[in-house]
Amino acid sequence: MSKDLERALSKLRFDDQVLGYSLMTKVGRPFVSFAFPDELFPRVQNSIQLYKKDLRLMTIDTDKGLVVLSPVDENWILTVLYVPELQLGLAIAKTKNVLRLLEGIELPPPPEEFDDSSETNLQVLESIAINAASVEATPDAPSLDSESPSAAAEDLSPDDFSVLPSTTPERGSGYSEALSLNSELYAEMKKIYRNFGFDVLLLVDGSNSVEHIADSMFQPTDRVIDLLKWGATKSIIVVPRYEEGSEDDRSSEGGSIGRYVKCPKFEGNLSKVSGDDISIIRLCDGKQTQEQIAKATGLPIPRVVQTLAKYRKLGLKMIGRTIK
Amino acid sequence: MPKIENPLLLSFYAHYVEKILSETSNIDEANQRLRDLGRAIGEQIYLNTEIVEKTKANVTTREDVSKLIDVVYKILYDKKPTEVDMKTARGSVRISDKDCVWCQEVNLEGMRGFGYCEIFSGILESILEFKSVDAKVFQEMCRATGADICVWNVRLG
Repeated sequence: MSKDLERALSKLRFDDQVLGYSLMTKVGRPFVSFAFPDELFPRVQNSIQLYKKDLRLMTIDTDKGLVVLSPVDENWILTVLYVPELQLGLAIAKTKNVLRLLEGIELPPPPEEFDDSSETNLQVLESIAINAASVEATPDAPSLDSESPSAAAEDLSPDDFSVLPSTTPERGSGYSEALSLNSELYAEMKKIYRNFGFDVLLLVDGSNSVEHIADSMFQPTDRVIDLLKWGATKSIIVVPRYEEGSEDDRSSEGGSIGRYVKCPKFEGNLSKVSGDDISIIRLCDGKQTQEQIAKATGLPIPRVVQTLAKYRKLGLKMIGRTIK
Repeated sequence: MPKIENPLLLSFYAHYVEKILSETSNIDEANQRLRDLGRAIGEQIYLNTEIVEKTKANVTTREDVSKLIDVVYKILYDKKPTEVDMKTARGSVRISDKDCVWCQEVNLEGMRGFGYCEIFSGILESILEFKSVDAKVFQEMCRATGADICVWNVRLG
């Protein structure tokens, strides 16, 4: 937590147009500050008092420079002092950028007593966060179900989904929500999987298989599968359901040895492929089945097969292989 | 006309028929399973043989369908069907074969309605589909269940 916070704040610290900043409590007490002139605090506090709960993004023009105030969450306000000559719009944009970074971080409420603007406050905050997390963990679980109706309605567990290394996950209805940093879904994922969840989801595009995702991240396949199954329960992604009746079929055809498939491989000259067909033929690397190619190109399978068949005499072969 | 007596093919197919009959509860279902099997391999046949090169790009008329059937017969069995009848029934083409490859020396009793060679219905149906012909194919008569000749009906949609 504190690392993320530090990273977000250091963006301000190393910005030449930022003169100082302060992370304040909702009543305007400076908690962590950097080069923020003390004489400005009363003015900022007055403005905060004025608006109280209705505080949105606010700018104050001072003789020291331009102050941008913005609430981070219900407990915290970020106050940044920019050089006077900076354009208002730019100052607001810069502040919003930092806010976006802060959105992914769950800040605990401030302790009841603390020294204003002390450097050690960050550590204090972190220890609060750790304590809160260890206490929260248990009561949090049931409350989650009531908060996210989609999950509660279907009440699926990760074991209800069948994800094999060869499975190609697709984006689900909650996909974009899970990737937006201010959503509950994102916060939940972040809590369980840290940034790993985000990174995996970015690779889910309907054409990358689990195996491929794991390989490109240098991560164990099982870890990716674990995350994807969780994601499936939240409708973030779509993977096949584990069907009870088909258990026997599964063990015989998709069992430990893998499934036998034939994959088209084009060994001819691509320049002889006509324009309409190139999107299909280019994918014929001997590693994807025609079903996967159909999915990747968004074309119906019969259309893909028709096209593949045309190129038999130009060097298209069907190669048998097993996939897991 | 060369007669095909490939013991490997016949043993494999007999094995599948046996498996399907042991897993199904009625004849319609078994016929469908055999057609499904045909459809499943039809794609590979289409991709691995010269059917595409030897047929017209656009198969539209019943004559075209009939020619396509001749090509499929030539490639799969190296022979011609006994008869391809386009006239008797409107909207369908009938294929007859008195030396059907699939049911050689098979005699089933008490299995009326069972199409031992339904696999060919599936193969043909899927090849027609790749040629953009909407058709349903099923076996009308089968030598394995006592008929004189195997007959398939290609009902054009």
